Amino acid sequence: MSSGVELWHRVQEFLFHEARLLDERRFDEWLALYAPDAEYWVPYAWEQASPADHVSLFYETVSLLRMRVDRLERGLSPLDSPQARVNHFLTNITVDAELTARAYLLFFESRRDEQRWFAGRCTWRLREHGETFTIVAKRVDLLNADQDSGHLRFAIPF
Amino acid sequence: MSEALSNLVGRGRVHRRFYTDPAVFEEERRRIFRRVWLWLGHDSQLKRPGDFFTTRMAGERIIVARHSDGTLRAFHNRCAHRGAEVCAATAGNTRNFVCPYHAWTYRTDGSLASVPLDQGYEPEFQQRAATLALEPVARLASYRGFIFGSHSAAGKDLETFLGPQVRAAFDNFVERAPDGTVEMAGGKTIQRYRGNWKLQVENSIDLLHPRILHRSAVDAADRVDHGGGEPSIEWDIVKANGLTLREWDRLQIAALPGGHCWMGGFLTKSIDENALQARYRRILVERHGEQRAGEILAFNRHNTIVYPTLLVNSRLAQIRVLQPVSVDCTEQHGYIFRLNGAPQEMFEAAVRMVNTNNSPSSIVTSDDHEIFERIQQSIANGRQEWADWSRGGEGTSEAPMRNQHAAWAEYMAR
Repeated sequence: MSSGVELWHRVQEFLFHEARLLDERRFDEWLALYAPDAEYWVPYAWEQASPADHVSLFYETVSLLRMRVDRLERGLSPLDSPQARVNHFLTNITVDAELTARAYLLFFESRRDEQRWFAGRCTWRLREHGETFTIVAKRVDLLNADQDSGHLRFAIPF
Repeated sequence: MSEALSNLVGRGRVHRRFYTDPAVFEEERRRIFRRVWLWLGHDSQLKRPGDFFTTRMAGERIIVARHSDGTLRAFHNRCAHRGAEVCAATAGNTRNFVCPYHAWTYRTDGSLASVPLDQGYEPEFQQRAATLALEPVARLASYRGFIFGSHSAAGKDLETFLGPQVRAAFDNFVERAPDGTVEMAGGKTIQRYRGNWKLQVENSIDLLHPRILHRSAVDAADRVDHGGGEPSIEWDIVKANGLTLREWDRLQIAALPGGHCWMGGFLTKSIDENALQARYRRILVERHGEQRAGEILAFNRHNTIVYPTLLVNSRLAQIRVLQPVSVDCTEQHGYIFRLNGAPQEMFEAAVRMVNTNNSPSSIVTSDDHEIFERIQQSIANGRQEWADWSRGGEGTSEAPMRNQHAAWAEYMAR
């Protein structure tokens, strides 16, 4: 077995693990996957070049992500009561020698009487961390990020 | 119909049809949205002849352009031939707008320049063609670079419609820029909710709700450990919602003629007194002197609401405009401005503030919109037909909303 295949397998396991932590609302464990100075970015514009000079759907430090999930865990937000159930489906996973991983995302959400789904392209910058990895940056480009009529609300991160 | 409509507003209460009846919404289109001045955009979007952008005027699709002679023009984005959308781009520069269906071609003043094979038409078409055009918006006017349109050829001029206290919000918006000009930049946000447009207009000056509804966000902000560093603007703006009810009640509010209103600022000291603000203040003092700069910065308002659908915030350099889609669906469009001459980081902070506060991922307005949907779903239940708007008091008084309702009733009675 080549090391390339082994790396690909390890990265895939790691990304599936991240997806599962989000789907199971294990937010503390999810945030622990991120480096303290990590960047989490969901652009608002297609092929957005920078989060600095254009609005984003999410552009968050770990501290802001912590605030976001803290709010969900306290159960005081009407937005998240009742809670949404989500599945993150990841496919077409690749990883290069610099530990940049890419995948297609299908995000399915069910809440109250509504079901929604979003498709996107994810990019992670990873760092080796013992047997596993740390996320240095994650970017999710939703295919309909800039849709004309806007979006209803997002509670759970992509 | 009109008398019955204005009866939906009672003394300290409104009837639930005000929010739920599709027939009421259709009348609002006719009696409110086709009469008032609606905000379309900003001069900075149209710098050169041929520059254009597309937007909406209370839901109707509009093209705004700088014509080759330098004048501003606005017209419906609807081909005079078969009614197709002529321009699908959000902005650009062009000599002509060409309908993709049969190539009817319009100049940047909306007039018809050519149709293909026009010998195929009867001779009277040739005469009529001179009058065919993209239907112009009846009136167009600017205040301090902010462009407004009205579907009504008659009525108050823009400055009278806005009134001195609303104009002051736009004045301050521009004066906060050291160079005296602002520029729309940074893209836009669109938040959609399945509720009536008036729910957001009322909520924007409802100072009793933030401490209660936004408690989850405020609590989460309270627990953030900044590790000795300077708090982020995103954190600060969330945290600011956590004033006590007493503090909210002490905030200044003002109800103005025409249904307009404003509320005082409530940002925390750390937003107003950080290192970046100090640097910005020095630039402003260099330009205007200590006294004038002090006056400009002392203009401390949060929302100024221009009835019916515009929310202006000069302190945060942003504008929000509601686009009513139907009686139970509304889009809130948010825009950011760069203060020319101010540090770049001020603009970046404004962008970050909007990410957290006014995007679909907001941890603040998302709870507002969730509540609007719950009102829309439930208000028609049972036999209680009225919503209560009778609260007095100071900052948490519902007087500004009653003022909105009175303006609504006045439009609907005419």
